[in-house]
Amino acid sequence: MIEVEQLSKVYPGGVEAVAGIDFQVGPGEVFGLLGPNGAGKSTTIGVLTTTILPTGGTARVGGFDVVRQPLAARRVSSVVFQEPVVDRSLIGRRNLEIHASLWQVEPRAAKTRIAELTDALGIAALVDRPVSGYSGGERRRLELARALVSSPSVLFLDEPTVGLDPRIRQELLEIVGRLGEQAELTILLTTHYLDEAERLADRVAVMHEGRIVALDRPERLRRRLGRELVELKVRNDLGIALNALRERGIAGDDAFAIGSTLTIPLHDLTAHRAIDTINELGLASSISAREPTLDDVYVQLTGARLAAAA
Amino acid sequence: MTAITPLITLSQRRFELTARRPRELFVPLITPILFALVIAPALKVALHTGSAYESFVAVGTIGLLIPLTTMFSGLSVIVDRESGAQRELLAAPVPRPFLVLGNLAVALAVTAFQVVALLGFALARGIDFHAGLAGLGWFLPAAVLFAVGMYGAAEALAGRVPRQEEYIARVPAIAIVPWFIAGALFPITALPSFLTWIARFLPLTHGLALMRYGLLGDSSGLHDIWGSGSSTSMALLSLAVVALFALVLTVGSIRVFNRTAVK
Repeated sequence: MIEVEQLSKVYPGGVEAVAGIDFQVGPGEVFGLLGPNGAGKSTTIGVLTTTILPTGGTARVGGFDVVRQPLAARRVSSVVFQEPVVDRSLIGRRNLEIHASLWQVEPRAAKTRIAELTDALGIAALVDRPVSGYSGGERRRLELARALVSSPSVLFLDEPTVGLDPRIRQELLEIVGRLGEQAELTILLTTHYLDEAERLADRVAVMHEGRIVALDRPERLRRRLGRELVELKVRNDLGIALNALRERGIAGDDAFAIGSTLTIPLHDLTAHRAIDTINELGLASSISAREPTLDDVYVQLTGARLAAAA
Repeated sequence: MTAITPLITLSQRRFELTARRPRELFVPLITPILFALVIAPALKVALHTGSAYESFVAVGTIGLLIPLTTMFSGLSVIVDRESGAQRELLAAPVPRPFLVLGNLAVALAVTAFQVVALLGFALARGIDFHAGLAGLGWFLPAAVLFAVGMYGAAEALAGRVPRQEEYIARVPAIAIVPWFIAGALFPITALPSFLTWIARFLPLTHGLALMRYGLLGDSSGLHDIWGSGSSTSMALLSLAVVALFALVLTVGSIRVFNRTAVK
């Protein structure tokens, strides 16, 4: 449904936002683009929704080249943007009707679809009020309903939960999760919330400085860091501590650090034995063990890698 | 569903948004009405001119009304981009020039409403017009094409400036300054000669001369521009100038929109 090959975007002034990325998203798949601000996620979405022209490579949405067949690519897709993109002075229903008409949905079919979606998303009671009176969560649900009115094959969700309070965020994640179960809908989701990617995405691409540094299923990405991690707050020099732990066979090349906190993936050792050894060496002011998360994968891939620095 | 259904939808949307802000309909009317109904009669008395002067200025104020209205309409483009649904429209499967043309259609409708209101007030105040069908045949295309060109200028400006404040700061230079030298309040030949020459190149000068020719049967403005020749041939030449202005500004505004909308 989405095919991206060697896609790149260099903005005037030489800023390389996307640097030759490749990925494919299959029909019905929920695909997460994960990365911090400036990683290139929004530029990638911009290219796929035809509001940004790539400077290299190709991208196809629903089989349509986004540069050569932009209208066709837009016809099969919809977007929910990171920031509010609605006509606030119009009522919610009118926002939905305008989308339906622009995507050439027959008026009768649009009416039925709007009734179904507003019911399903819990906004039926407020859809005839001006959007200016909606809360953040209500407006988000309206935007989601609007994107679905045209029954798109591909749905782009650009940081859909940014700025929402935790309760509304959870509600929205449940809704997106239900959407993800629909076989006919392909979802490309960008986020910098790791739990979102882990919960919703079938596969995740981790972006860093315009490049994809990892692409796999969330559980397989986590498994790269072994069964357990040991995290220690290092007392003195980080490099010296790491070398000592390497010599004792505790740390490998995949150890990584943020500030004075050293994280060591354990592949063959038990956490118990690793902690005993660290205590023997007197390297840490505090120490703990836990299972790896996608957060650890992300930090290891994009943060300071002590293995390279030491 | 036809190919122009999306264009109709875009125009309806813009109309609904405009209708919710009545100030866009009425504020641009205030200054021209003040000129047509208060200042022109006062000048007539002060300068001991005849009733023809009131008619002269009444048409001249259309040359202020159209730029003010179209420039006000351009503000909505910035609002759409900053806090409206422009990105949603850009993601829609419609040719992007439709987004400009949809706005243009509503700007023309609002301008038409205001010009009719201005002329209605003028007639009610006892100001004479002598327009026959042939005269309207000159007035209408001149007014419509000039409004199209001015909306093109508004849309292009809105595409190029990032904020409403910067847009508003440029409006007087575009909408008001040309009005003072385009023969709205007095013939352009009354200006210093270098300004008369500049005025001859202004689309507004040609538009006003055509509108006076159409509504008042007064071809003196056309003579002031072209020197000599038949009134019809001079009117055709001025109409060509206004049409070229409309075409260039519309095409230009679409190009500016595409460039700013697609990075």
